[in-house]
Amino acid sequence: MNKPIYLLIWSALIMVCFTSCVKDTDFDQADDIVLSPVLELDFIYFTLGQSDYFNSNTGEERLVVTDTTDFEILNESFVRDDLKRAEYLFELENSAAISFLTEFRYLNEMDEVVYEIAIPISAGSIAAPELTEHIENIETQGIIELTQASKIVVNVIIPSSFENIEGALNLQSKTTYFFEI
Amino acid sequence: MRNLLCFILIPLLGCLTYGQNKQILYDFGDIPQSLLVNPATTMEQDYHFGIPFLSQFSFHFGSSGVSAYDIFGESNVDINTRITNVLYSLDKYDFFSVNQQLEILSFGWKNPKGIYFSGGIYEELDVFTYFPYDWAVLAWEGNSEHIGRQFHFRDISVTAELLSVFHFGANKRINDKLTLGARGKIYSSIAHASSTDNEGVFTTRVIEGSDNIYRHRVVNANVTVQTSGIQSLSDAGSGAAVANEMLSRVFLGGNLGLGVDLGATYQIKDNLVATASLIDIGAVFHTKDTESYVARGTHNLDGIELLFPALSDGESSYDYYNDIEDNFDNDIPVDTISSSYTQFRPLKVNASIKYGFGKKQNSKVCDCLNKNNGEDWREEVGLQLFAIKRPIKAQFAYTAYYKRKFGDFLTGKLTYTIDQYSATNLGMGLSTNYNWFNFYIAVDNILKYSNVAKAKNVSLQFGFNLKIDKNE
Repeated sequence: MNKPIYLLIWSALIMVCFTSCVKDTDFDQADDIVLSPVLELDFIYFTLGQSDYFNSNTGEERLVVTDTTDFEILNESFVRDDLKRAEYLFELENSAAISFLTEFRYLNEMDEVVYEIAIPISAGSIAAPELTEHIENIETQGIIELTQASKIVVNVIIPSSFENIEGALNLQSKTTYFFEI
Repeated sequence: MRNLLCFILIPLLGCLTYGQNKQILYDFGDIPQSLLVNPATTMEQDYHFGIPFLSQFSFHFGSSGVSAYDIFGESNVDINTRITNVLYSLDKYDFFSVNQQLEILSFGWKNPKGIYFSGGIYEELDVFTYFPYDWAVLAWEGNSEHIGRQFHFRDISVTAELLSVFHFGANKRINDKLTLGARGKIYSSIAHASSTDNEGVFTTRVIEGSDNIYRHRVVNANVTVQTSGIQSLSDAGSGAAVANEMLSRVFLGGNLGLGVDLGATYQIKDNLVATASLIDIGAVFHTKDTESYVARGTHNLDGIELLFPALSDGESSYDYYNDIEDNFDNDIPVDTISSSYTQFRPLKVNASIKYGFGKKQNSKVCDCLNKNNGEDWREEVGLQLFAIKRPIKAQFAYTAYYKRKFGDFLTGKLTYTIDQYSATNLGMGLSTNYNWFNFYIAVDNILKYSNVAKAKNVSLQFGFNLKIDKNE
């Protein structure tokens, strides 16, 4: 065969291969990649009525009801490292003619309070329930405190007897977690 | 050296579409390895021997819908914005693919009756994953902007396998028009993992009248991960023990399977030929060292409902948090299963029709001036079809090509391939013979080689063989 043509064809292919390269790219930008998912998660809900303020063990009335739940997700390493902001939304509907004070106390493993949210709720009625919406926005130092928590104590306090009062307090809540990973 | 490194590394960085489409090698009779793409390909020589470990190396890596440049290109636009743009330009049918083959042994000979026998051993790595679109959106953005949206588990579809293949085949010209070929294969799986055919959805919805603001639901989940050969490797401990175990599996020590390739070449007219092949009709039977994980069920989560029980001194409240975890585990248990399973190989289909023209020549003899009236057309054009079965749907590629022989020394093939994602794929293959020595190289998407970061479809195959004719 014609040797120059032979060499020309091979040279062309070899040149294609060996002159190939990556241009106009900057792979160091990988360091700037930030995942920033925003997660919506349900939080605590409850309904409290007259019967909840009587101790069935002792038969005595009580002005404070308390419950505790573990909440270890806040203490997970990825949350401690990557959570930048948390926004709690509490929606309360009070159809009872009595006011409430709702406290959310975030405790660390030594049962020390690291963060606290208190929401006063005015008295309502069955015909016209009192609607309370509370948004707790937590960031910077608040996030550092919040992510030390491993359990939550909820106190719902009434100022006087619930006896002979109809209606109930209903809470629904959610959290929006803003991550930067 | 820099360019050489780039040339080698670029496929790793960037860019392939149909990892197993070897449109340049297909029906390239000058290259013995074309028998692996169509066992009915006519071989011109009497014997061939591949240089061990060098007779075929092919590597593909890439994606169907995104190139390295799309994300890492120099730009004033923030890289996270570009990733978001790329995310929304993809869909659940986009995929990422890695395919690598290394031929360990290759040989062939023609017997006195004209049957060409061939065999060998090659190692193959094949990783294929669809873009898990819904879950990528969830990971990148979260569910906040997607309340009510269904995130489908079916979007998780991935297979990965490393295996060796022992094969032996033959082709024979049945009559003046028809040549048939077949190849038997024994697969020896080194490791395999897959998760396909998953079902179910995850949603976060606002439901009027429900207990809490949202209801998080996993509905009818049915997610399976099958693995084979992985557990024992992770238990093997040292790198040397792992290497020894993997080496034993290369030589038929792994889970075995059987397969067959079929091919045909039909001479419609003197200058018109149709070909077709079915590659990897077979399966691997995973019977040992298997471990599969199955999660099935439905679960609803409304948050934590506090009950404010009246407690005696020292009495603790309900374990709400662990109850949530326990309820999830009860509703969607993850079972670990060690039973056998069968994994079908991805079936490949090739077909072509070609038209020969120019002068005829006998390529076994140097006939640079084409004075002889040989058997083969010096030039040909053709159309090829490639299809491969993948978990969700088959993929297709269409190729037009021009091939020309330059005497006995050189054969070249220029291809233009179009598929779902690329309409600008030009490929080129060259095979050269010098005495008994044969070298070939095939590169894809050569228009992108000036900056392969922008390519989505690049491939490379090369190898060295000895081709021997009795009359030389």
